[in-house]
Amino acid sequence: MDNKRLILAMVLSVAILAVFQWVMPHPKPHQTAKQVEASSTTATPPGQVPGAVQDASGTNPAAIAQAPQADVRIPIDAPRVHGSINLVGGRLDDLVLKDYHETVKADSPLVRVLEPGSEKQPNFIQFGWSAAGGVAVPDSRTVWKADGDALSPGHPLTLSWDNGAGVVFRIIYSIDDNYMFGVDQQVDNHTAAPISVFPWSRVSRLYAPVDASGGFLVGGDEGAIGIFDGRLQQKDYKSLVKDADAHGGVAFSAGDTGGWAGINDKYWLTALLPDSPVPMTGSFRHIDGEGEHAAGTYQVDFTTQSPLSAAPGATARFLSHAFAGAKEVHLLDTYQSQLHVADFWKAVDFGWFAFLTRPIFFVLDWLNTVFGNFGLALMGFTLIVKALFFPLANKQFRSMSKMKLIAPKVAAVRERFKDDPARQQQEMLQVYRTEKINPVSGCLPMLVQIPVFWCLYKVLYGTIEMRHAPFFGWIHDLSAPDPTNLFNLFGLLPFDPTHYVAALHIGVWPIILGGTMFAMQRLNPPPPDPMQARIFMLMPVIFAYFMAAQPAGLVIYYCWNNLLTAVQQWFIQKRVAGEGKTVQSAPAKG
Amino acid sequence: MTPLARMLDGAVLVYQWTLSPLLGGRCRFHPSCSCYAREAIAAHGAIRGAGLAGWRILRCNPWCDGGYDPVPGTGRD
Repeated sequence: MDNKRLILAMVLSVAILAVFQWVMPHPKPHQTAKQVEASSTTATPPGQVPGAVQDASGTNPAAIAQAPQADVRIPIDAPRVHGSINLVGGRLDDLVLKDYHETVKADSPLVRVLEPGSEKQPNFIQFGWSAAGGVAVPDSRTVWKADGDALSPGHPLTLSWDNGAGVVFRIIYSIDDNYMFGVDQQVDNHTAAPISVFPWSRVSRLYAPVDASGGFLVGGDEGAIGIFDGRLQQKDYKSLVKDADAHGGVAFSAGDTGGWAGINDKYWLTALLPDSPVPMTGSFRHIDGEGEHAAGTYQVDFTTQSPLSAAPGATARFLSHAFAGAKEVHLLDTYQSQLHVADFWKAVDFGWFAFLTRPIFFVLDWLNTVFGNFGLALMGFTLIVKALFFPLANKQFRSMSKMKLIAPKVAAVRERFKDDPARQQQEMLQVYRTEKINPVSGCLPMLVQIPVFWCLYKVLYGTIEMRHAPFFGWIHDLSAPDPTNLFNLFGLLPFDPTHYVAALHIGVWPIILGGTMFAMQRLNPPPPDPMQARIFMLMPVIFAYFMAAQPAGLVIYYCWNNLLTAVQQWFIQKRVAGEGKTVQSAPAKG
Repeated sequence: MTPLARMLDGAVLVYQWTLSPLLGGRCRFHPSCSCYAREAIAAHGAIRGAGLAGWRILRCNPWCDGGYDPVPGTGRD
């Protein structure tokens, strides 16, 4: 009976999948490819300065957010980014990532990580000096002079400004093939007296992202972030404002050498990495704002603790790097070892179990290079975990073969205590114990699954590699919830129920999950307590609903894992039952 | 029960109603590990009860015989 139901549940799941695959309209692959190509070419006009007035005919929806107007800019062109340097203030305030779109749609705008103050989401990097003794230093309104017409890998750009009193300031920007800027701050002293300057760098953000929040059970790691003396320091936007209010605008401040700090998004990072081995002070600040920028300014900055001095005729230099881009795990690791940045990998939130989560990520990432799909990688990973626990299963199988020898005893116990399930369970375990066999593997192996599940959640939810990672059918993003919805009959009804009640959402995969859970429960005896038994019956529904809001990859992993476990358990039970029957019938006759 | 014991008991209860049916595993002992944990905490308090429960979970593996294993000192045979 139970087996019939299990098979029915599985057949139904597959049927739903098949029907759905057939009903759902999905974009033709070659068409999508063309769109990607088109958007990437139109989004990166070669040699065009985004600051220049744009052609009105450029109405391609893929066009990036309007670039700032009416200031003087030098274009940045690198393999994976394009943007411009603002000569007013010498800021890095315009940068778009060529490889990442805002949504899963191939014609959606490219992701913009740096944006000038004139735009909706200002986020920019600026370098400067403060000085004692009346030396005029450049400020945010200073118009710098550039020595070239573009910044690209292998072609650095020098910005210079003469303060008119014998001191020349220079910022030499360089960029690599990915997301790292090199910054060389120089001060030429042409005066007759020595001068002292404090080079500084800062990341400023004039808005707080509305969607800055964590998933289930985790706080967001978005906001100010940094490594100071080997320790990770984080402040989300709310506590940044609160702590800054309480301490005169400075939410956090610490001295350090070799650390880094910046403003963290879930997938993107804007960070400062001072190179020069001098003691720095890093601070997280919030400055109140009004009007258009009512959110105020969230700022992370570094400044040298002691001044750099330049004798007459000499040059004071300060070297640093600035990162603006996507937090790709391998890339962060490469920068960490190349630039000797302490714990740069911690920009990605791997959680408390990072020691386990990171290896799991690397296995998944490797499997992805093998299968070419993260969904298949997840399934492969599940198989590997099952294989690792094969010795346990094997032991189980051998134990199974002994089961038939004691089947008469078990049957006798079953018969004797059939009106008292608790007593029956107890007596059966006693039989197993005296015969030194046991049909289940125990709680410890089961509990081991929980951390693995948690790590998978962190990987799926938090790493950019999983962002927009497609699977088959209607899953175009494993890191996002299943987009289908039961409550509008999977798109057959022309309305969006979540528009009215946000919680009215449950996709196909979560429903399949509920089905597999239901099937799993059929394989196990119901709990003796009737109240608990009723709650057990409800669990598949509750869990399907809960998992509907989680990354689709996690739901798919769970379905696959349940299916494998159920098939294994069903097989064992079938074998045991079959063998039990043949032996059982023999002594009954005799 | 002390507040700590009450809290631990609640946590185990939540486990029994949510995660336990999900994981679909079965215990090698009677009473099951989670029932054992609740009885142990009720009988011996939070610290000793949790210790007993932890030891029980560690024992509940394929290299152990399992069987009837009541909480010590509860007067049950």
